[in-house]
Amino acid sequence: MTRFLTPSKIGLLILIEIYTEAAVPTASTIPFLSFILNQLVPSTLKRESTTSPLLSRSSSSSSSPQSLPFLLELNDFETLLSTHPAASGFPGRTLWDQFLQKLWGIDSLYALHQFFATRSHLVAKTPEEIKRDIEYGIPEPSPEMIILSRNSPLGGFVRRSRVEFERLRFSHGQALWMALVRWRRESLDYYARRNGVRGRWVGDKALEEGEDEWGLNATEMLELIAYGIPDVDGTNPRGVSTDDVEKLLEFQVEQMQKFGTRMPLDLQENFRKALDESIMVPSLSHYLKFLDAWRAGDFTTSFDNLHRYFDFTMQNRDRLFYQYALMNLAVLQADFGCFDEAIAVMLETVSTARENKDMACLNFALNWLYHFGKTHPKLLAGFEATNLLGTEREGLAFLRVKAKETGMWTLWSSSLLSEAKLGMSTGESVSTAFENILRSSQLIVDKNLKDMMGQQTAMLSALWARLGVGVLSRQYCDIFLSCHARYALFDDQLRSTCRVAYLLTEKGCYDEAMKKLEGLDENSLRSWKDNQYWLEFRGIIRLKRDLHRDNLDGADQLLSQLLQFTGGQTDPDLSFEIDLLHIDYLTRRTDYPRALAKIEELASSLDEDGGDINLRVKLLTMKAILQAKSGRPQKGFSVAVRAASIAWRARLIPALWSAMGAISNILNSLSEFHAAAAILASILPRALESENCSLNAQLYSFLVDAHMGLAGRAEAGGLQRKENLTRCLEYLDAAFNEYSALEDIKGQCEMMAKKATIMRIVGENVLANDYASAYLALKSEAALAKA
Amino acid sequence: MFNEHEKAHLIVQLRAALQEAVVKCSERCLYQSAKWAAELLTSIPTPDEPSEPEDSQMTEVTTEGLPPIVVTGNLDPEESALEAKEINQYLLAKSFFDCREFDRCAAVFLPDTVLAGILSSTSSNTAQNIASPKGKGKAKATLGRNNSSLAADIPRMSQKSMFLALYAKYMSGEKRKDEDSEMVMGPHDGGSAVNKQLVAIRQFLEKWFHERSNEAGEVIGSQGWLEYLYGMVLSKDKSEEEAMRWLLRSVHLYPMNWGCWLEMTSLIGRVEDLNRISQHLPQNIVSFIFHLHTSLELYQSTPTLSSELEQLLSIFPTSPFLLTCLALLAYHTKDFVAADSHFSNLLALHPHRLDSLDHYSNILYVMNLRPKLSFLAHLCSSIDKFRPESCVVIGNYYSLLSSHEKAVQYFRRALTLDRSCLSAWTLMGHEYVELKNTHAAIESYRRAVDVNRRDYRAWYGLGQTYEVLEMHAYALWYYKRAAGLRPWDGKMWMAVGSCLQKMSRDLEGIKALKRALLADSYYDAGVGSSFGSGGGRERGGAMDPEILLQIAGMYERLDDEQEARAYMEMCVAQEEGAAESLDTSVINIHTDATSSDDESRPAFGGGENTGPATGTGVTAATSKARMWLAKFAMRSGDYPRAMQLATELCQDGVEVEEAKALVRDVRVRLEVGNS
Repeated sequence: MTRFLTPSKIGLLILIEIYTEAAVPTASTIPFLSFILNQLVPSTLKRESTTSPLLSRSSSSSSSPQSLPFLLELNDFETLLSTHPAASGFPGRTLWDQFLQKLWGIDSLYALHQFFATRSHLVAKTPEEIKRDIEYGIPEPSPEMIILSRNSPLGGFVRRSRVEFERLRFSHGQALWMALVRWRRESLDYYARRNGVRGRWVGDKALEEGEDEWGLNATEMLELIAYGIPDVDGTNPRGVSTDDVEKLLEFQVEQMQKFGTRMPLDLQENFRKALDESIMVPSLSHYLKFLDAWRAGDFTTSFDNLHRYFDFTMQNRDRLFYQYALMNLAVLQADFGCFDEAIAVMLETVSTARENKDMACLNFALNWLYHFGKTHPKLLAGFEATNLLGTEREGLAFLRVKAKETGMWTLWSSSLLSEAKLGMSTGESVSTAFENILRSSQLIVDKNLKDMMGQQTAMLSALWARLGVGVLSRQYCDIFLSCHARYALFDDQLRSTCRVAYLLTEKGCYDEAMKKLEGLDENSLRSWKDNQYWLEFRGIIRLKRDLHRDNLDGADQLLSQLLQFTGGQTDPDLSFEIDLLHIDYLTRRTDYPRALAKIEELASSLDEDGGDINLRVKLLTMKAILQAKSGRPQKGFSVAVRAASIAWRARLIPALWSAMGAISNILNSLSEFHAAAAILASILPRALESENCSLNAQLYSFLVDAHMGLAGRAEAGGLQRKENLTRCLEYLDAAFNEYSALEDIKGQCEMMAKKATIMRIVGENVLANDYASAYLALKSEAALAKA
Repeated sequence: MFNEHEKAHLIVQLRAALQEAVVKCSERCLYQSAKWAAELLTSIPTPDEPSEPEDSQMTEVTTEGLPPIVVTGNLDPEESALEAKEINQYLLAKSFFDCREFDRCAAVFLPDTVLAGILSSTSSNTAQNIASPKGKGKAKATLGRNNSSLAADIPRMSQKSMFLALYAKYMSGEKRKDEDSEMVMGPHDGGSAVNKQLVAIRQFLEKWFHERSNEAGEVIGSQGWLEYLYGMVLSKDKSEEEAMRWLLRSVHLYPMNWGCWLEMTSLIGRVEDLNRISQHLPQNIVSFIFHLHTSLELYQSTPTLSSELEQLLSIFPTSPFLLTCLALLAYHTKDFVAADSHFSNLLALHPHRLDSLDHYSNILYVMNLRPKLSFLAHLCSSIDKFRPESCVVIGNYYSLLSSHEKAVQYFRRALTLDRSCLSAWTLMGHEYVELKNTHAAIESYRRAVDVNRRDYRAWYGLGQTYEVLEMHAYALWYYKRAAGLRPWDGKMWMAVGSCLQKMSRDLEGIKALKRALLADSYYDAGVGSSFGSGGGRERGGAMDPEILLQIAGMYERLDDEQEARAYMEMCVAQEEGAAESLDTSVINIHTDATSSDDESRPAFGGGENTGPATGTGVTAATSKARMWLAKFAMRSGDYPRAMQLATELCQDGVEVEEAKALVRDVRVRLEVGNS
């Protein structure tokens, strides 16, 4: 494998020669040149293409240069050239013919040397060269020829190719020649037919002439010795140069960093093949392996490869990049749960970056530390002494200012979002949160920070969810998924999808939610961390469904698996959700003491960490309801009132409604049916907005209770009683509908039982009987489903 | 010469001898000789019907079975008993040698203590003889006695084992020598590294021969191999007469060891030496091949040589060695086309054989067959890019592409692989000349000459380089060496001549240049045709106008205007071709030649020239000659002639201004004369 030159680059040189000979008709110039430039211009400049075809050949539509494969085969040239007629020469001949003429004109190793030696004629001469030419009496090139300026992309390429060829050792030049012979072989038939040449050794002068002397057999023998036995193992070595491989690696690393995905399997295979051919393995390939192993969750390999990468880069880079090595290491450690090491390494990163005055690195490291501290507050507590950022808020402000100073827009925007998040979780003013989000949004639009879009919309979606507008929350997620997901990390995409799925499960659309999750890109899910998250989330959805269907054994099994995840490693949101479901499970098992203990435990841990206020309110409400379930609703009164007041203050609307529901339940138990009914009647319409079925069902059932109480107060047979009972029936239906949307068997049964009771009171025994049998049917159905 | 039966018989014998040679050589780890013999062996055509019952020899061979591949028997009963006893150790030693663990191999039979004992006993003997200072001598003597009591005598072992052990010692010395020598052409690379084992081996063998030889100096029971080794060691020590004596003994005792013959070739520097030696040679086919090969090495190209080659080729029709000789023969006679086709043929027959392909690349270089040379380079590089031959081919290719730095790089690589690679040294010298690095050029030429004194190209290159440096005395010396090696190469004589001219030794210069003229025509006419047959040359051959002009110039300086004029006329005549010139010039040359040049040589020219002599056309030399003639005509008052010549000059378009001035002058004179 050569450093730079490949057969396809020789093809490009021929194209350039054709171009300079003014043989390209004016109409074809643009596709012609864009074809060439597509190969020459550094890949960063043409990074508009959305897909990453890389080695895999994209199909069809070769007219658009973007879809060209990375490694040009001969037929890529053919598809370009055969459509364009040549401006000169015989009619009916296309540029393809001209191209082949030149390609097959290189008929020996010597001709190849000659070919490169004559490349200098294509480029404009330096003044000294012109002077020398005049001295020697060499005429100027004809004015028809297009002379490439020395620093144009084409001129630069031509000059570089020449220099690279000059540098080649003989055996490498020979390898290039052999690669060229192999590369062009498939066009032999066409060329021979078109130009009326015959013979076995077209394009190899030495063999062609030698055949007369040596005879066929000996010539074949010599050919075999010189060119090797073709395709021994069925694999053609591709014409890849180290330069190409390096470009590919850079591109791939960037892709992986940008989208956070792993290499697809076939791509991995291709890379392996390309690297096998080369003797020089670019050190970047170790980095690539590191990334891949990291994503694959293979700690030892990734660790090993990271070290290897830095070992190999030490030689040509300065120690100045030491902090980046440390940073990578820290992130890696953290990802694999070695938090202590990660923190230690990151702190060293910070000090090294400070030493080297590398602001970008420093800011990044501080930002990382901040977020790390948010997720693992206990771990960082030990390091509080070194207190890098002061209190949280000060730290964020510091980061923001620094980011602004150094022009790190991403960091700036993310610190704004963090600030908004902090405000939200401590229950501060919603408008401040909005302000921060808006400022970040402006930055994103200003600086075109496409990759920040994920965080931005996630934040908005969360905010609207807290404000109880489920539709908007979902819409933001949808917007992100349909518009921005292409440019963002896969992680963001995954989270948004999960969020949508979560909202769907709240409405009871389990299947749809599952489908959403299944629809994610399979390859991206090969990434270990994302895969974990995805698996957990699927587990949660299934657990929810099992719980609702009263399939407690299945739920138990799932829970026992999911609870493994709630250790420090996973996302805190997910582990909290799992804990909530655990409590739910315990409640359904009517194991109230343990449920209560679990709640207390969670609450205390939240208090310690200064956790999200929303979660705290949820816990409080749960506690109140648990008290009610265990038959002592009044005990939960203060808790419920506290929850409600906090939720109100922090504008946590859905939490507020559920807290109010708990309060009204307590009121019911205190026989304050009027008040309870009034509260519920006023909150229900608003609660419906948040599209949370279980909340709605609960509220409805509380309302039924309140009305039932009112009916009980009213005199028997009176209008008021009847009216209340009718309302009861109405709300029972509503609650029943909500429960059946959730497929919540227990709820459904309860409603059915209540309905039957009411019917009996009203005296409609037949209907009561019907409902009772419906109840039994439901029960047996559930039992059947369980079985 | 022989009838069919006899010939068949001989061939069977030859085959058996060669088979034995292959096995014996490889037993002694003489790989190259074994290879050579095997190549020769397989190039004997096998008879179509292998089993002719009446051929007793054939059946005998088949019943005897094939010779054992590893070990051959020994005819000497004593030796064979020893060999049988040592077989296990021998096998061990041989495997060590094959793994290139030379010291270990040597130690199997000659542990260092034993060797030291033997050597010190010999040295103490000599020390006592010279009567060294007492204390020291005593210490040494006691030491020697201590050892000698243990191993003063050479341990009894078969000659085969002894050869292997000593040869391993020699090889280890060579290896160490290579390791010790500095980078090729580096600051410390004086080519002075020596094989330090030589002394030990020589002493050992001296003692051995001394012990075994009778009064007449005959070594009893020796089988030739140790003599070969001794000769080789002696030749490295530069005691060449002695070496030649031992090598001769060796080939008498065992003629099938090609390495021995090669060693002898390297000791022969002149044809006379060869002739002298050949009387003492055994009369057999290998000796015949040796004669041929050595003559080729000496750049001989006589018709007898080619007929010898023909004969050999009739026995070994596909032998790559002989085919190479054929090609080289053509090359030496400057018949490049034939040489090319011979080599090409060889390439087709033995495509994996790299030996002597460097010569082929030289030929292609001279013929400027670029694609073919590129293919050859490609082929060599595919077969083995770390063989000196491949590197030389590639270097030649780069030289043809005018990338001289790269060429030098490859020649250096060749030399790193094999410091005795003669052509690489010379060619590297050429490249350094191209790079105008005369210092390095001289050094590489000098190294080439050190490796092989017969390389006329290196001598010539040295001369050329000194000429560039304007050190003509040196240049002349080297040119003379080159001319001595190739007396029939005009280029050499021309160089000698111009050098003499520059040193103002005109008479000698004229002689040399005349020889150059002769030599040129000799080669042009082809070799076989007329050397020694005297006169009757088919074709006078075109003479180089440059030389003629130079001769004329020198005559002019000697104030011999007539001769000068004659040569000038001849020079001008070359434009038209040789035929025209004859009437005016031949006689002059003849008279001159007989008077001043005692070399017997064919009378060239001869009025009956019939060949389609094509002239050189107008060249700078002929124009100069014409100008001189015109001026001469002016001086001598032959105005019409001057007029004619000057007008011709005007037509030719060379030095028009001067010619026109001349025309005007002539016209004026003519008018004056008329009026």
